[in-house]
Amino acid sequence: MATPAIASDALTKSYGNRTVVDDFTFRVNPGEVYALVGPNGAGKTTVIRLVAGLAFPTSGQVSILGKDPHQHPAVRRELGAVVEAPAAFYPYLSGRANLRLHADLAGGVEPGRIDEVLRLMELDDAGERKVGVYSLGMRQRLGVAAAILTRPKVLMLDEPASGMDPLSLHLVHSVLRKAAGEGTAVLLSTHHLDEVVAYCTRVAILEEGVLIDEVNLFDRRERFRVRVTDTSRGLHALEAQPEAVTHATIRGGELVFIPRTNEDLGAVSSILAAAGVGVLEMNRDIFDLRAYYRERVSAERARRTGVAPATDVSGYGGQA
Amino acid sequence: MILTLLRMEFAKIWRLSSVRFGLALLVVFPLLWAYAPGIFEVYGFFLVSGFQVPALSLLSSMQFLLPLLVAISAAELLGTEIANGTLPTILLRPVTRPNWLAAKLIVIAIYPFIMLLVFLLASLAAGIPFGFAGFFGGTGLGEAGLLGQGMLTPGQAFGELLRGYLLAALALIPIGMLALLFTVVFMNAAGGALATLASLIFMQLLVVFPAIEPFLLTTQLNAYAAPGGETAWVVALIALYGALFAALAVVLFERKDF
Repeated sequence: MATPAIASDALTKSYGNRTVVDDFTFRVNPGEVYALVGPNGAGKTTVIRLVAGLAFPTSGQVSILGKDPHQHPAVRRELGAVVEAPAAFYPYLSGRANLRLHADLAGGVEPGRIDEVLRLMELDDAGERKVGVYSLGMRQRLGVAAAILTRPKVLMLDEPASGMDPLSLHLVHSVLRKAAGEGTAVLLSTHHLDEVVAYCTRVAILEEGVLIDEVNLFDRRERFRVRVTDTSRGLHALEAQPEAVTHATIRGGELVFIPRTNEDLGAVSSILAAAGVGVLEMNRDIFDLRAYYRERVSAERARRTGVAPATDVSGYGGQA
Repeated sequence: MILTLLRMEFAKIWRLSSVRFGLALLVVFPLLWAYAPGIFEVYGFFLVSGFQVPALSLLSSMQFLLPLLVAISAAELLGTEIANGTLPTILLRPVTRPNWLAAKLIVIAIYPFIMLLVFLLASLAAGIPFGFAGFFGGTGLGEAGLLGQGMLTPGQAFGELLRGYLLAALALIPIGMLALLFTVVFMNAAGGALATLASLIFMQLLVVFPAIEPFLLTTQLNAYAAPGGETAWVVALIALYGALFAALAVVLFERKDF
């Protein structure tokens, strides 16, 4: 099996009696965009800092490209990260001088790369200005520029959307998507679930430092719902055809399935018909991450505290 | 890598407000002594040579002003990184924590020499009206104080000043290291500087224990006046304090979460 770009095993971080990250295990593969979501204080930032080697785990392991960042600091040459919101720079230096400083510390940055990333993040006009006069959004964009400066194999961003206007956000999204397309593993923490649905491949939902769910958004985007005359028989028929359907389940009295390819979508009706199951209606299952997130976090809180949620959170109504 | 880090740290230290203020103060401070109208009434002596101004500057600032300036600048050098959030950003680069802190420690160790060089030059400049010819008396930094032991040539006078200022700069190094250590502990500049000053004040009170007095860090602040025979011992003790504080700072910094 290929080495994951980012990995943690049973990662735990405690401060005194308070555990902020509890037994967190995850993998991010090259080319993936993995999001950490959760309420404030869920442990997202701590996970990023632990993985980046800025904080020490109480127990468990982390690795970047198979190496512990504490024991192998050189692996950070392959890491680009924004861990402060807004991204932190020396305010008395220009944007370009700050990037030059990062390039000197990282080493091996090719000539012209600073100009390239400034242009990419639409900061070429502001490059000579002192960072102290930058807006929040400009600082964040400079942060992304610094992160991608070394063409890293791993990118980590804590709240990249913080303080950004929609245009800047779109720019950052496209840069991250492009990096992922070139094989870079991207790990980000965010509160913006729309951002997550737009381009993340997987999302981890954290609550009180615990991973309560990991959702494969790629699969979710391709999911379909079918109202049929007999759901049990229909499920049995689809499960018997793994070459056409990768996943099938019953949710809310309907069959939910993921076809292997778009061509296999047509075959599903035939499979069901052959099993004597009538198809009444078929729809693309639009995954509402916002509702799903609310449901999972509320359910976890209810489980932990023994108190049922006060508000109606049944917007999603299904299981993972 | 360490050279890159050193270059960065030297560039940073000149931008610290405490360094700019401190150096400006040290340029002005000697003028107080050179032109003080009531110096004879208060201290019972008057200046006969420009070579005496640097001694008066040092004697009047070594117990509080200079340690204060060094402590604040050392604490600020790390404290601004913490306040700006640049500390974790830099540590994400392939830089080891000991290397990064070592660069700061080296700059902090060199800074007292630069500071006292400015102080010496400013003091000599302030002494111009008194002239720099040979004179009967002492510089104030030799064994016979300001009274001296007869005629002092310009070369001898300058030699005394140089030795005194070098030893004074050396004695300030552990204070910078201590300030950095406390800043690592408290993770802010104000906490680091205040803890250093509190420690120095506390240590000054320990003179009531005569057995430990020769070993106190605060006692070494008088190193500039140490007799020639004790110089090696004083330098060794200062080096020991500096190395101890620096090592502790590195060990603690290695284990910090950011």
